[in-house]
Amino acid sequence: MAIPDAGQYATAAGLIERSAAAYVSGVPERPADDGFFGPASVTWKISGDVTGPVAGLRSLMVQALHPLAMAGVDQHSGWREDPVGRLAATSAYVTTISFGERAAAERAAARVRRIHTRVTGVDEVTGRRYEASDPALLLWVHAALVESTVTVRRLLGTPLAAQDADRYVAEMVVAAELVGIPAGMIPASMAQLDAYIESVRPELRCTPAAAESMAYLLDPPGLDEEIADIWQDVRYGAVVSLPDWAREMYGYTAEPLTPARREEVRQVLGILDAVFIGEPGVLEARQRITALMRAAARPA
Amino acid sequence: MRRVLAAATVAAGVAGVAAVVLLRRRAGHAGPGGNQPQPGNQPQPGSLRLHGNLRLSRGLATIRLVARGGARYATSAPRLFAAAGEHRQQLRNDLALQTAEDVASTLGTMKGVLMKLGQMASYIDNGLSPSVRRTLSRLQDSVPPMSPELAALVVEEELGGPPDQVFASWDPEPIAAASIGQVHRAITRDGRAVAVKVQYPGIAETIAADLGNVALLRRMLKVTAPSQDVDALLDELRERVLEELDYRREADHQRLFADYYNGHPTIVVPAIVDELSTRRVVTSELADGARFADLAEWPQSERDLAAETIYRFVFRSLYELHAFNGDPHPGNYLFHGGGRVTFLDFGLVRHFTETELEPLMQMARYLCVEHDPEMFRRNLEKAGFLRADAPLGTDQIVEHMALFYDTVRESRPLTMTGDYSSAVVRRFFDVRSPVTTYAQIPRSYVILQRINLGLFGLLGELTATANWRAIAEEIWPFVLGPPTTPMGEAELSWRARHPAPSIA
Repeated sequence: MAIPDAGQYATAAGLIERSAAAYVSGVPERPADDGFFGPASVTWKISGDVTGPVAGLRSLMVQALHPLAMAGVDQHSGWREDPVGRLAATSAYVTTISFGERAAAERAAARVRRIHTRVTGVDEVTGRRYEASDPALLLWVHAALVESTVTVRRLLGTPLAAQDADRYVAEMVVAAELVGIPAGMIPASMAQLDAYIESVRPELRCTPAAAESMAYLLDPPGLDEEIADIWQDVRYGAVVSLPDWAREMYGYTAEPLTPARREEVRQVLGILDAVFIGEPGVLEARQRITALMRAAARPA
Repeated sequence: MRRVLAAATVAAGVAGVAAVVLLRRRAGHAGPGGNQPQPGNQPQPGSLRLHGNLRLSRGLATIRLVARGGARYATSAPRLFAAAGEHRQQLRNDLALQTAEDVASTLGTMKGVLMKLGQMASYIDNGLSPSVRRTLSRLQDSVPPMSPELAALVVEEELGGPPDQVFASWDPEPIAAASIGQVHRAITRDGRAVAVKVQYPGIAETIAADLGNVALLRRMLKVTAPSQDVDALLDELRERVLEELDYRREADHQRLFADYYNGHPTIVVPAIVDELSTRRVVTSELADGARFADLAEWPQSERDLAAETIYRFVFRSLYELHAFNGDPHPGNYLFHGGGRVTFLDFGLVRHFTETELEPLMQMARYLCVEHDPEMFRRNLEKAGFLRADAPLGTDQIVEHMALFYDTVRESRPLTMTGDYSSAVVRRFFDVRSPVTTYAQIPRSYVILQRINLGLFGLLGELTATANWRAIAEEIWPFVLGPPTTPMGEAELSWRARHPAPSIA
């Protein structure tokens, strides 16, 4: 099996800066409406957690285990040439869907659906044809993100009530619809979500493209030294929070998450968050969101 | 590895828990294992960055990294607390912390700790520009105020009733951000105007929990600089921060200072209102006056007087009260003209024992008064500032250290300047000097670096002129000279009631 040289990947320099810019671009300054979720939603509440980067990395690791989803990214998206740009584009999309005005979210979704129609091919490992607009693939990507957000938040973040987790999964249904998944297919509760993921497991495997992409993401070259150190804990959080079966597919091991280790990871994530807030526009974007949320929480 | 054990530089590493956390070179938290064969040239997570030496400079780089965040915090800060107008009010209201949960999400997970360490970084770092230092020390300004309801809730929990019952009058709008809290104006039921500092609910627990995890920091610093002093420095900083979380300690400190300076002609310390002070609420007499920034407009003669008062306060407190207020930042003074200065905020105070103070006094004495370099050196070693086995000539040591005493070596009027304070800071952190290699700051004296790195900077900004040596001689317990300035004369009646301790 040919393993492409890891040197084919561009460096991850600018990861923080470009992620921050992507985030800022997705939070409107004077929104005409509250978008698809709004300040009282669990979606907004959950988004500010320091575990965000870990959840993002974990969801990529889960998504990549679907050979066809991985092949689509690997063969089409410019992933190797500009991995950071590709990640930033995804961040911008997710932020726009979460916080953008409805019109902006719809425009972003339409654009992604349009791009997806051009993403077709054959996965070299399984020999299967794929289309990125296939609802089954889109659903896997959606489910991995939603489930990772909840799981990582529960494991490493501030506590999340069971009904809030269910509400979050239900709120996310509209995000799945926007990207082109028929409503009837989309899990609307944690139980449905878990059952769906379980049902897809037989199709999952760690292809060389997945192994290579994730090895890159777990230790991205070209980061500032300080960020690289922080990333060790982001990586640990992502790997330790994977389901056992996913970790085994990759062949990773992780030392157990003791309470002390958990605190340490949280501390490092807090520092990463402070660094993120230090990027231009991020604090202001956070404040816009916070002000709306506080207003919504205030008794009328 | 170059053995640069300048304790100050080590302390710079301590300046950010961030810094220290990041000094780790531990990989293998998540690494390839299991049974699957690893593709040949695939990057192996966890195994790539095991090589490379730990270096102190990395800690400093990380402070800069955090400062990057700090800079952003601070630039938005004025809009929250300092800027004027309706917009500010609106923004403050919009962002006000309404629940303990809001506090946790704003200041939890290290942000509160970063804020505190940012405050302290200004006397334990070297590589930062003054603007970044200011930025870090103002991190706290970025924190939104509590909503009036949340502040009232804390008051109720602490004082047993809502503020409008506990006080005759209560201003729900905070007048200032304070250390992990905010300050409200109020009038007590017996008619006194007071400042009430109210702590953010849950913040003490959050910071204490984050600081509790120092095993990691200690381990990493030990790898970095295999010295006992690392432990000591870390403990000292941690202890000071933890102390600051309990406002009762602050009230105790302030009482001590207020009692001592009661009746002093120019030093004013607001009295604590005991019955309205608890762990999370501290009430003191309300003080009003000009801010440090306003002094730029004052005549130089007034600035000189203000500087003289601050100078007397710092050294009288140290030598006579055996206490040092480690937070001499510009926001902690109010100026009234004629040299009268109100001293605020006693959260970061350290008390010294006779044994700790003795070598400090002897150092000044042998260097500046007795002119006995060997005895100066012996006391440096006794205090722990210099390793006993340093293969250095005494003249070399004196040459290096004398700069710190420049203002008091000769009896003549001398103007403090920004240049002098910068030179002191540079010398302090001069890792190229052979002396620095054998120098360190023992735990007890860590906080005194504020004299070199804080006080002199402040007096430099005032471009204050005085015969500092003459004033020092009034205060030095081994001289106890007669008054040399009108302010010294004016102190006499106060002094009669507060005799200076006799020297050893």
